Amino acid sequence: MVQNRNKLIDIFIGNMINSIVHIILERAIKKDKEYLADKYRKELITSFEIAKSYREKINPIKVPLPEKDAFYIKNKIVKRVKAELKIRILKGYENINLNEIENEVGKALKELNIL
Amino acid sequence: MDQIYINKKRIGFNIGEYVVIKLIEKKPTEKLYSHNLKDLEPIKEEIINKIIKIIDKKIENKNIIITGSFLDKGFKFNDIDIIIIKESNVKFSSLKSIKDEIDGQTGIKSHIIYLTNEELLAGLSTDPLYKLMLNKCASKKRFIYKMKKKINYKLLDLHLLKSKTLMDSFDILNGDEKYYSLRNMVVIYLFLENKEISRDSIEKEIKVTFSLDVDKIRQNLINKEDFIKKYKSMYNEVSRKILEGVKNGSKQK
Repeated sequence: MVQNRNKLIDIFIGNMINSIVHIILERAIKKDKEYLADKYRKELITSFEIAKSYREKINPIKVPLPEKDAFYIKNKIVKRVKAELKIRILKGYENINLNEIENEVGKALKELNIL
Repeated sequence: MDQIYINKKRIGFNIGEYVVIKLIEKKPTEKLYSHNLKDLEPIKEEIINKIIKIIDKKIENKNIIITGSFLDKGFKFNDIDIIIIKESNVKFSSLKSIKDEIDGQTGIKSHIIYLTNEELLAGLSTDPLYKLMLNKCASKKRFIYKMKKKINYKLLDLHLLKSKTLMDSFDILNGDEKYYSLRNMVVIYLFLENKEISRDSIEKEIKVTFSLDVDKIRQNLINKEDFIKKYKSMYNEVSRKILEGVKNGSKQK
């Protein structure tokens, strides 16, 4: 059971990382004059939607997770989002603001009742 | 005096009787423009004309384009994709009322995309999914489909990220969701490789790389281990190409 919960948390984290990276990259690219709102990928389920469905399987569901779990999840997401974005900065991406990560992660985790 | 000949057995007309000849009001036939569209069922053509009439009645527009699975043979479509090319700025509420009327009158769920002509052209040159969607379409007016390809690696990076969910959450996704993730990645791959973008070319690529028929994927009949291995390999290759492109692009600045 414990192992199962850990697996759910790992999948939740993976999807949250993808979701936050997407939010920050989209913001950076929006400053590009060629940016075009994505109106065609309606069929693709977003990482946030998937994360939300995994959250609904992680107990306790109705209240925020114990501080230890919440801290572990937040730290892991922040670290891995930072790593993903740093790769892109090294490749020449501009306008990526790493200071936004903590805030974005916090906001999303609150929305999903993790924090 | 002119004479008209009618069927001898017609009831009510006797030989030599005087009749009134009246010109029947001509029903204008609306000609749809199409691209790569063969054998569109008459009922679908009728539905498209109905949709065009509803939209024309409600808002000024430069063009109306119908695309997506609705145009495929048969009736396995989920919804109907409609692109309205803007004439002027229209409030969202107007679009909602158009959608409601189309859904109500046709009984088919519609998905309306509202664009300027410039946005459509930009999409066609930079986003392979636009190219795929408009590879097969019907429209009110003729429009330029062939646009010079322009690779914007950062946009492709953003689009590709949407296919990453499949690797993280294979078990939770249904067959259609897996297919759309895969299609999104494959279309980006074909775009980068300068290959033809069409439904057939995507299905062919999936068959060659994944040894799978699209139907099997959509029915969720996939061997997870084998599929994920191949999927990851293609994802990493496409991602590496995109990030190299971003790097080279920024060096050229």
